[in-house]
Amino acid sequence: MNTSIPYQDISVVYYALAAVAMPLIAFLINVCLPGKTNKVSGWMSTLGIFTSAVLSALVFAKIWGQQPLHIQQLWFTIGASKLYAGVLLNNLSVILLLLVNLIALPVHIYSTAYMSHDAGYKRYFTYLSFFCFSMLALVVVDSMYLFYAFWELVGFSSYLLIGFWFTKDKAVYANKKAFIINRIGDIGLLVAIIILFTQFHTADIVQLFGDNGLVAQSFIKNGIWIAPASQLPAVYQYIACAGIMLAVAAKSAQFPLHTWLPDAMEGPTSVSALIHAATMVAAGVFLLGRVYPIFNTAELNALAVIGCFTAFMAATIALTQNDLKRILAYSTISQLGFMIMAMGIGAYASSLFHLVTHAFFKCLLFLVAGIVIHQMQHIKEENNLDIDPQNILYMGGLRKKLPFTFITAIVASLALIGLPLTSGYLSKDGILIQAFEWSDGKSCYYRMIPVGAIIASILTAFYIGRLIVKVFFGEFRLQKINPHIHIHCNDGGWQFKLPLLFLTICCLFPLFSWNPLVYEHAWIFSAFSGPGFLERINIYHTIIPAGANLVNILVIYLAYSIYVKRNTFTFDQTGFFFRLSYNEWYIDRFYNSAIVKPILSLSNASSWVDKNIIDGFINLLKNIVLSISKITAWIDKYIIDGFLHLLTAIVQLIGNFARNFQSGKIQYYLFSMLAVILALFILKTLI
Amino acid sequence: MLTLLIFLPILFGFIIVVLPSSMRASFKYITLLATLLQLAISIYIYLNFKTGVAFGGIDHETQFQFLQKLPWIHLNLGSLGTMQIDYFVGIDGISVTLLLMTSIVMVVAALSSWEITSNLKGFFALFLLLDMALIGVFCSLDFFLFYIFYELMLLPLYFLIGMWGGARREYAAIKFFLYTLFGSVFMLLVMIGLYLSVKDPATGNHTFNMIQMMNPANYTPGSIFNILSHQTIFGISARTVGFVVLFVAFAIKVPVVPLHTWLPDAHVEAPTPVSIILAGILLKIGGYGIIRICIGIFPEVATSGAFWLGLLGVISILYGAFNALAQRDFKRIIAYSSVSQMGFVLLGIASQTTEGISGAVFQMVSHGFLSAMLFFLVGVVYNRVHDRDIYNFRGLGTLMPKYMVFIMIAFFASLGLPGFSTFIAEAFSLTGAFKSALLPNWLAICGAVGILFSACYFLWTLQRMFFGSVSLKGGDTWRAALVDLKPREIIALIPLALTALALGVMPSLVFDKINDSVLALVSFTKTFIR
Repeated sequence: MNTSIPYQDISVVYYALAAVAMPLIAFLINVCLPGKTNKVSGWMSTLGIFTSAVLSALVFAKIWGQQPLHIQQLWFTIGASKLYAGVLLNNLSVILLLLVNLIALPVHIYSTAYMSHDAGYKRYFTYLSFFCFSMLALVVVDSMYLFYAFWELVGFSSYLLIGFWFTKDKAVYANKKAFIINRIGDIGLLVAIIILFTQFHTADIVQLFGDNGLVAQSFIKNGIWIAPASQLPAVYQYIACAGIMLAVAAKSAQFPLHTWLPDAMEGPTSVSALIHAATMVAAGVFLLGRVYPIFNTAELNALAVIGCFTAFMAATIALTQNDLKRILAYSTISQLGFMIMAMGIGAYASSLFHLVTHAFFKCLLFLVAGIVIHQMQHIKEENNLDIDPQNILYMGGLRKKLPFTFITAIVASLALIGLPLTSGYLSKDGILIQAFEWSDGKSCYYRMIPVGAIIASILTAFYIGRLIVKVFFGEFRLQKINPHIHIHCNDGGWQFKLPLLFLTICCLFPLFSWNPLVYEHAWIFSAFSGPGFLERINIYHTIIPAGANLVNILVIYLAYSIYVKRNTFTFDQTGFFFRLSYNEWYIDRFYNSAIVKPILSLSNASSWVDKNIIDGFINLLKNIVLSISKITAWIDKYIIDGFLHLLTAIVQLIGNFARNFQSGKIQYYLFSMLAVILALFILKTLI
Repeated sequence: MLTLLIFLPILFGFIIVVLPSSMRASFKYITLLATLLQLAISIYIYLNFKTGVAFGGIDHETQFQFLQKLPWIHLNLGSLGTMQIDYFVGIDGISVTLLLMTSIVMVVAALSSWEITSNLKGFFALFLLLDMALIGVFCSLDFFLFYIFYELMLLPLYFLIGMWGGARREYAAIKFFLYTLFGSVFMLLVMIGLYLSVKDPATGNHTFNMIQMMNPANYTPGSIFNILSHQTIFGISARTVGFVVLFVAFAIKVPVVPLHTWLPDAHVEAPTPVSIILAGILLKIGGYGIIRICIGIFPEVATSGAFWLGLLGVISILYGAFNALAQRDFKRIIAYSSVSQMGFVLLGIASQTTEGISGAVFQMVSHGFLSAMLFFLVGVVYNRVHDRDIYNFRGLGTLMPKYMVFIMIAFFASLGLPGFSTFIAEAFSLTGAFKSALLPNWLAICGAVGILFSACYFLWTLQRMFFGSVSLKGGDTWRAALVDLKPREIIALIPLALTALALGVMPSLVFDKINDSVLALVSFTKTFIR
């Protein structure tokens, strides 16, 4: 079944399929390669992703801004329903296809150097290729069931990579947690798919969510959700949406399911850059983009609230963390919150735009973190120190030692904050402006969304300022504590520098718009929003960027002055807010005591029931049967047998009695004869 | 063809019995040869199995394939008519995939029997007897024949667990035996009741023919199981009683909570090959029986009682998963996970939708392979150090990397990772359950939660036993004993892993064969909904 426009070039689909298949081929080759640290594996994976990147660029050039292409083929028939597998290439899928490749390629190159001394070098690239395959497949598939399949496979490859150092207990806990929390989201998605399939009899994304698709035609009336072919109670529409939100929350680390992401930082840093910052965690936003028509206004508002709250909460937590990667993880959560919020307020285009820009600058920040951690690790090993190489309290002044890294880090941070001339400015300010526009004319509670977003964005400036200052400015605190240590630091070889340079360029405005100040001119934005969005209808478009950036610059200066000059003041480290932030709002502890423990006790209880009640009942039955059999045995022995024994005893008695008469002594015989005759005589006389 | 398939093992079993004990080293090869031949025949049958509307099977005798019908016991009882028992075998879509699955699992079980060292003649003779009975159950279409094979299974299993099992083997064997005997004795009564109610329209004799039992027109007016006669037993409709009795008999096999407690004990005590057969094949006989006999013969009761079946299925899913979470014996975890996964089978069957029943059959096939794989893997560790307590191991992944690969495949395939068969099975059982008009929608959603807990117990086991740094209770002796997989073990595991993967990527391998039968079954039961 071919639902595409007939005049289109079908070969694009083959390019797309090849782009998806290349990492899979690399994965399979790597599986077969001998040796644990076979360096060929790294180049295989890199070659695979490079080819894939080229192909996806071709696909992108042909599809972007054109008619979507949709090709499918029968996968299998179950009963009367046919399930198709196919490829759907529209603006959304091709931009992500390209994005994933553009992020993955530098990360692969970086990894060949970053992991070069690891004992599991081949395993690393095998997993990495597998991840790329699942992620690329996820963005192009056209069926909800397939989407679910790859959705879970990316979670699985993330599980493998988080627990890459599987002898480390913390890593193993972290990957278990990540998988289980993602499983919660998966269930939500599965339930949503089942509901959609029941309601619309198809799992095809185009048929369901296309223009004027089945979802768009369905409506809720009198508590019934009516679709063209069937109907369900309205509550199932809400459950389906809730399921999707759950899935999004799990994958994109939104409150309340965000807790796996900070722990996931136990994986190699290059993995964090690719999976837990740029690509996989953005899959939730991508899902929202795919199923956008299903949400009604109330559900969109819920999304906005979740996103805004997460953005704010994660930003507050990032303020006080000391682990370099954890700060970045919370920053990711916060930025994802912005994207989800943007979806909720209807800023669909800005949300996807931010997804793209965020992928570049966050990936860059993680790669920078990787270099810093690597250097700290070297220092630690060289001098036999007992320190945590990720703790920013030991760092400082690294700008002189790692100048190239320092510059890229600055660019990435400015993009994260959203200062002009960077890509982050274009995407983030778009979200903020549209949030204000959205809340206009609504009640004052709706105002909290844009205000919360602004606060979160200011906090962003502070925590990233703190991070940069603590790592790169001031003096090297580790050296201050141990003045005798040897320090050999450098930016690393071209495998480090080239990816960093590439990503730095991608963090700047020219890639996205010729106009560094006006987000509406960005080509990604205008492609997703369609015409008519170019009017700058009100004053927000000027005030918000100007105001926000002014505040941001002040805040950066504040962070600089606090942490470098130390002349203003220090924070109170015992206050309620500090502890709340430092302990990550106590959410993990709450989950442990409120959810994990009860479930474990429930499982123990059910095991107890099994052992004592069900088996107890069986044993009781057994005992009853045994006692009955004992009673019957007793009856058998004493009553039935007893009767027989009695009979034999009587017979024996009579026999013994009679035997007495035949003892063989002649006088007894004479006596008995006489007695008998006498008795006869007496009887005769008596009768 | 089917006759050959059924009686081939017993032929080889006979050879083993006749051969002198001095040739005991050859017994395992003879057994392996028997199972391989059987596999070849099954593959031939699978490839030559025709599909299409004309081959739906279920309630149409002519639509079955590889049919063979011979008069077996025809006793003239004078005024009571003729007693008619036929040797009647044939397969439709429901049985063909299970047959192939059985043959593959038997090969793996034969390979894992290498570990048996004592009384080889007895073991392999019983093994092949069991093999015959299992195949026979899936093929017979005459209730009497079915029952004979069904009972014949118990005898070898009892001895296999009781003689070659672990420390508490006698307890487990007796428990298993009594449980299943309890079910089957009552089944016998219902079977006789059905026999007395049904007459073969061609000969006018009472008959045990299952397919004729499915047609309400074949019931003698006024007989106990005639739909129209509304007879009662203890005040309950006789047909309901008949259904419940048969269901209990098969539910014990599945096993459905609360009739499941024989399973963990039997598994824990059984030697590895017997565990493989138990989990891989025996449990499927329960599901197969429910589809073929309970629903086939009493469709209207199954329809009206669908909610209760579905509820039991969901309870099994959740209860089994919770129990698995609380275990610390590696084999018990797998045993309870079987309970949980077989719950999806019952849920799917209860839905009586095409998706649900296909999902259920698919789950049976998939679980057949995966549980065989899991028990085989447990056996690997147990054989090496004779311990299964999860807390006594740590970091096995570092010690046995190849083993680790298969453990990961088996665990993730079982917990429903897409790309492997369980995912398709669970997704469609749940879809069917949600779609079903007979079940409330929340049942399917509760069932979906079971997927979460299966992830919990498998990941916990992985984390506790396989990850982390190496630390073993037995110290260096264990470390020396825990060598990585041997070639024989890898040869046994690879087909299982590959089939699970193939079924996950190409579910049509199963669905194509079963579709017509499932459609026939669903339209058959639909005619009974009023």
